[in-house]
Amino acid sequence: MSAAVDTPFFYFPVARLLRIALTRFIVRRIFFALVLLAAVSLFTYLLFALLPTDPAALTCGKNCKPELIAANRVRLGYDKPIYEQYWQFVRGIFAGRTYGSGDIAFKCPAPSLGYSFNQHECVSTLIGKTFPVTAYLSLGSFVLWMLLGVGTGIIAALHRGKWQDRLTSLVTSIGVSLPTFYVGLLVLFSVVIWLQWLPFPHYASPTDNLHDFLTAMILPWITLAVLSAASYTRLTRNGVLEAMNEDFVRFGVAKGLKNRTVMRKYVLRAALIPIVTIAGLDFAALLGGAIVTESVFSLPGMGRLAIRSVTDSDLPVLVGTTLVAAVFIVMANAIVDIIYGVLDPRVRLK
Amino acid sequence: MNTSAVAVGEPEVHGLIESKSPSRLAWERFRRDRAAVIATFVVLFFVCIALLAPLVCKVLGINPLTLDRKALNDYGLPNGPFGAMSRKHLLGVEPGTGRDILARLIYGARISLLVGFVSTFLTTVIGVVLGIVAGYRRGKVDAVISRFTDLTLAFPSLLLIIALTRPFTQRLESMGVPEGNPARLTYIVLVLSLFGWVYVARIVRGQTLSLREREFVEAARASGAGHWHMVFKELLPNIWAPVIVIISLSLPGYVAVESTLSFLGVGLLPPDASWGVMLGDSVKYYRADPTYLFVPGIALILLVMAFNVMGDGMRDALDPKSDRQQLG
Amino acid sequence: MKRRIIGVLGVALAASLVASACGSSSSSSSDTAASNDTVAAGAADTGTPTTGGTIHILSQLEQITHLDPQRNYTGSDLAFVGSTMQRALTSYAYASGAEGSKLVADLATDTGTPTEGGKVWSFTLRGGATYEDGTEVTCADIAYGVSRVFATDIIVDGPTYAITYLDIPKDADGNSNYPGPYKATADQQAVFDKAVACSSDGKTITFNLNRVVADFNYTTTLLAFSPVPKAKDTGEKYDNAPVSSGPYKIKSYEPGKSLVLVRNDKWSKASDPVRHAYVDSYVYEFALDPAVIDERLMADAGDDQYAVNDAGLQPENLQTVFNDDKFKDRRQDSYDPYISFTAFNVKTVSCVEVRRAVYLGLDREALRTAGGGPYTGDFADGFIKPALADDYAPNKMPDGLNKDGTPNIEAAKAALAEAKTKCPDVYAKATGDGLKFFHPDTPTWQKNISIWIESMKAVGIVIKPTAVEPSKYYPTVQNDKTDYDIARGAWGPDWPNASTMIPELFLTSGGFNLTRNGDDPAYKQFETDTKAALNELDRTAQGTKWKALNQFLVNQLWSLPGTFLKAQDIWGSKVGNAYKWASSGSYLFGELYVKQ
Repeated sequence: MSAAVDTPFFYFPVARLLRIALTRFIVRRIFFALVLLAAVSLFTYLLFALLPTDPAALTCGKNCKPELIAANRVRLGYDKPIYEQYWQFVRGIFAGRTYGSGDIAFKCPAPSLGYSFNQHECVSTLIGKTFPVTAYLSLGSFVLWMLLGVGTGIIAALHRGKWQDRLTSLVTSIGVSLPTFYVGLLVLFSVVIWLQWLPFPHYASPTDNLHDFLTAMILPWITLAVLSAASYTRLTRNGVLEAMNEDFVRFGVAKGLKNRTVMRKYVLRAALIPIVTIAGLDFAALLGGAIVTESVFSLPGMGRLAIRSVTDSDLPVLVGTTLVAAVFIVMANAIVDIIYGVLDPRVRLK
Repeated sequence: MNTSAVAVGEPEVHGLIESKSPSRLAWERFRRDRAAVIATFVVLFFVCIALLAPLVCKVLGINPLTLDRKALNDYGLPNGPFGAMSRKHLLGVEPGTGRDILARLIYGARISLLVGFVSTFLTTVIGVVLGIVAGYRRGKVDAVISRFTDLTLAFPSLLLIIALTRPFTQRLESMGVPEGNPARLTYIVLVLSLFGWVYVARIVRGQTLSLREREFVEAARASGAGHWHMVFKELLPNIWAPVIVIISLSLPGYVAVESTLSFLGVGLLPPDASWGVMLGDSVKYYRADPTYLFVPGIALILLVMAFNVMGDGMRDALDPKSDRQQLG
Repeated sequence: MKRRIIGVLGVALAASLVASACGSSSSSSSDTAASNDTVAAGAADTGTPTTGGTIHILSQLEQITHLDPQRNYTGSDLAFVGSTMQRALTSYAYASGAEGSKLVADLATDTGTPTEGGKVWSFTLRGGATYEDGTEVTCADIAYGVSRVFATDIIVDGPTYAITYLDIPKDADGNSNYPGPYKATADQQAVFDKAVACSSDGKTITFNLNRVVADFNYTTTLLAFSPVPKAKDTGEKYDNAPVSSGPYKIKSYEPGKSLVLVRNDKWSKASDPVRHAYVDSYVYEFALDPAVIDERLMADAGDDQYAVNDAGLQPENLQTVFNDDKFKDRRQDSYDPYISFTAFNVKTVSCVEVRRAVYLGLDREALRTAGGGPYTGDFADGFIKPALADDYAPNKMPDGLNKDGTPNIEAAKAALAEAKTKCPDVYAKATGDGLKFFHPDTPTWQKNISIWIESMKAVGIVIKPTAVEPSKYYPTVQNDKTDYDIARGAWGPDWPNASTMIPELFLTSGGFNLTRNGDDPAYKQFETDTKAALNELDRTAQGTKWKALNQFLVNQLWSLPGTFLKAQDIWGSKVGNAYKWASSGSYLFGELYVKQ
C-alpha cells in the first residue's frame, strides 16, 4: 500500500474499513462498467439506425426497384420502429436470433450480434474468426513496444542531455506523429519488394503454418511496435526523470542506498506503474481492431472486417465490431481502475 | 509574489544578481536550446507559406489545378526522372493529371495545418475547461465529467469517424455548411475535437487535482479568495505550461490523422489537395514514380519533427525540475 | 452482357482506366474506333494442355460476390463459377478468340428448339450429369433453380430475365404473380410449373415465354438457369455453399481469405462436352492489395508461377510490364466487352446543345492519359463495340469533335452560344450554378473529376462534383430521387447482340438507364424503333436497325460515348490457356492449365 497518505489514522479499524471499501469499490466499478457497456450499445445502435441514409436501399445492386427495396426493408427488419429493432438486437445477444422462415430459416446462436447479408454469416462467427488475428497482432506489438519503448526511455533518462537523449528525442519525435499507413507501406515495400528480405506476407494461423504466420506478422509487429514505442520512450523518459526528483528518492540516496537500488526500488516502480496502465489501455484499444495496420498488411483481422463493413454499408457487422471494441476498452478501463483502487486507497474512498 | 515561482525554483545567478520573472527565465532557456529554435523557425516557415499560399504560387508561377499534359508520357506517368522535376515544376508533377506537386504541397499545407490548428484549439479549450472544472469542483461534477470521459473513450474513434463521414457531412450540408470540402473539413475538425478533448481533460484534471493540494492554493483559499480568482490566478497560470506542451505535440498528430483519413478514402474531396491525399495517392506509384512517394512524406516528417522538437524545447524550458537529481 | 461492374468499384475502374499495351503489333489506332477485337496474338498461346497442378487466382475482392448460381451476375464470377461448379442448359464455346462467343450445348443436347416463332423453347437434356454427392441432375432441378429467381426478397442481385420473359402474369406494378418457391401456394406453383414444364420422362424441359425471344438460348447460358436440388437449398445461405454440378467442388471457403476448389470426383466427363478440367485444384486468394498482386505476378516466384489475377494490371505498372521484354511471353493487351460512357440527366440537362458543348470541350485525351494512355482503350464512337460485328458501323460524330480526343474549345463555345438562345435556363444552369457530377469516391476518379472541372472551365461550364461511396454508387444514381446532372457508367453486352446494350441503357424499362430520358421529345420515336429492333427476327435486318439506332444516340447525346475499354494482364509463367474469353471478358478460369 502506498505510504504517502498525509492524514494520520489508526491502524485496525481503518484496515477493516479499507477492506470493505475495497470490495464495495470493486463491485461499484464493475457495475458501472456494465452500465457503460449498455449505454455504448444503445448509443451505437441509435447512431447507425438514425443515419439519414436508408440501409435497405443499399442492399440491392443494379436491379434496384422500389418494391425490391421495400421487400428488403422487411427482410432485414428495418421497417420496425427503432426501439423494437434495438430490443431484438439485445435479445439476440442473450438468446440468439432466427432469420427467415420455413425450410430456409437459420439461427445465429447466442451471443448473436446480427447477421451479415453481405458475407452470409453470423456476425459473431465473423468476429470469432477475425479476432485471433487481431489478438496476435496486438500481443506481439505490445511486448515489442514495451521492451523497446521502456528500455530506450530509461536509457534516455539516465543519460539526460547527452547524445543518447537527444538522439532518441529526435527519432521519437518523428515516430510519434507519422501516419501508420505511410510507415507501414514504406516498410512493406522496402523489405519485401526492394530488398526482398521477406516473401509477400500471407497470413496463416500459427497452428496451420507457423512459417507463414511469422513472415506475415513480423512486419506489422515491427511497424506498430516502433511507432508506439516512440511515445512510450518519451513517456518513460519523462516519468523516470520526474520520479527521480521525488522526495523519497532523495531520501533513499541520503540513506546511503546504491544508485541502482534506488532506481530499481523506487524510481522505476513510481514511473512505470502509470505507464503500464496506459499501455494496458492502448493494448485494449488495439484489440478492438488495428484498422490501418491490418489494411496495409492485408491481415484478416477485426479491423479489416470493420473497415470493410463501412465500405459495404454492412450495418450489422459495423455495429457488432464497434460494440466488441468498446467492450475491450471498457473492460480494460475497469481493470485499471480496480488495480489503482487496490494500490491506492485514496482512490476508493472518494 | 507570483506563485509560479514556487514551481520554478530559485532565480539563476549570472554576473549581476537580477530577479527575473519565470517566463523570462523560461524564454532564455528556450533560446539556448539551439534545436528548438531551429525547429520553431521551421514551423513558422511552414505556417507562413501556408498562409501566403496564393502569393507564393503566383511568385513561383505555379498552380495546383492546372493540368500539364506535356509533362506526362503516354502511360500517364511523369516523363522525366524524379517525377519530371524541372525548372517549371520544381518538385515534379502528379502522375495522371500533370499537376504541379510543389503547388499542391503548398496549398495542401494550408488544409493540413488548418485541420491541425483548429482541432488542437478546440480540443484544448474544451479539455482545459472540463478538466479544470472536474479537478477543481470534484465531487459530483467531477464524477459526471469523468463518466462522460469514459463514455467517449469507450468508442473506437477511428472506425466511427470513418463510418459516419458521409452521412454526417450530408447532415452538415443540409444545415447550411457549403457543400463539398467545407462540409467535409468541418466534419473532420468537429469529430476529431469530439474525441480528442478527453486526453487534454485528463491531464488538466490531474494537474488541477495535484495543484489543489499545494500550499499556495491552500493559502489563497485561506485568505478568502473566490472561485474565479482561484481558477484564473492560481490554477491556470500553473497549467498553461503543460497545456502549451500538449498543444505543440498534438498538432502534428492531428495532421497525421487527417492524412490517415484521406488514405482510407474519407478525407478531402478533389480537386483540392492535402498532404494526406497526396500521401495516399503516391503509394501506388512506388515503382513507377518513387519521387512522388517521398516528397509529401518528407514534408510531413519535417513538419512533425519541427513541432515535436519545438514542443520538447518548450517543455524543457518551462519545467526545469528535470535539471536536478542525476542518478547513474 | 449485363455486366454489373463488380462490387468494389475500384476493380472495375481499374479495368476501365487501364491503358493498353501495344507490345508487338499495334492493334489500335487512337483515332478510329474500327480496330479489331483480337487478342494480341502469340502471348496467350494455347499449346497442348496437361492435367494436374493448382492454379491460384489473386484478387483484391473480399469474396466471390455470389456463388449462388441464381444470384451470380458479374462477368468474371460467371466465368469462374460456370466453368468450375455450375452447369447450365447452354454455354459459350470454351475457345479463344471469336470462337469463344459461339453458343454450344451444355446440359442440353443441342442449343434448343424454338417453336411458335420463338415464343416456346424446348431443350432435350443430355442426362448423365451428377452433383458432387452423386445424385443425378434432373429436369425438375433446373425448373427449381429457375423458380428461385422469383424469390426476389432472398435471391437478390441475379439476372431477372426469367421474370421478364416467362409466361407468368404480372400485377399492375410489374411484379410477378409467382412469389418464388419458398412462399408459393399450390396454385401459384402450378402457374410456374406451366411456364417451365418438364416432360413426364424428365428428358425435356420447355419454357413458355410471354413474347418472342429470338435468342432465348443465349439467355439460358446465364447460371440463373443452373440446376439446384430442392432438398439441399438453404436459401440465403446457399450463397456460401452451393451444390456443384461441375468438375470441381468447394473444399473450403473463407471470405476475406480464400476459396479452395478440388475435383468433384462424381463429375462425369462423358456427360460434359464443354469442360476439360485440367487442373486438380484452384485457390482463389482474396483481399490482396492490388499493388501486391502486380508485384507477385511480376516477380513470378514459387506458387505465383501458377497464378493469374481477376482484375487486370494496375495503370501504374503498365510502363514496367510493357517496356520490358522479359514479360513478353506472359502479358497481353486486349479489348474487354465494356464501354464506358457519361450519362446526362436528360430531365435537367434537356438541351442537346449544352450536351454537345460538353462533348466538344471535354479533354478526353487528358482523361485517357490519366487512366494510362492508349492502353485505356479507344475513344468510343457510340454505344456498340466493333466486336459486335453484326451490329456495328462507324458513326458520324458531331461536327468539330477532335479525333485525337483533344478539346475543341471554339466549337464548344459556339455550341454553348447556341444553347444560350435555344434553352436559356439550361444554359444559365450550366454556366452558373453548375452541373452536378456524381462520381465514385475513388483515387482514380479524384483525378478524373479534376480533369473534368478544369476542362469545362475553359469552355465556361461549371462542374460541381459530388463524391459517392463506391459501393453505393450505382444504388445512388439509380435511385430516381437522386438529383444529379451527370453520372458515369460502363456496360457490356450480356450476349453478342446489341439488344443487351441499347435497350438496357436507353429504354425507360432498361436495367441500367441513367439518362432519365423518358420525357425527351425524341424518346417516343426511339422507343418504337428500339422495340421494332428487339422483335426483328432476321438477324441481318436487326443489325441494320441497331446501327441506325446507334447513330441516332450519337446525335442525341443523352449519354456521351466514352471509351471502348481495354484490359491488360500479366500471368504466371507456368499458366496455360491464359486467354481472355470473348463472352465474359475475363479468363476462362476452368480452362486454365499448369504447364508441367
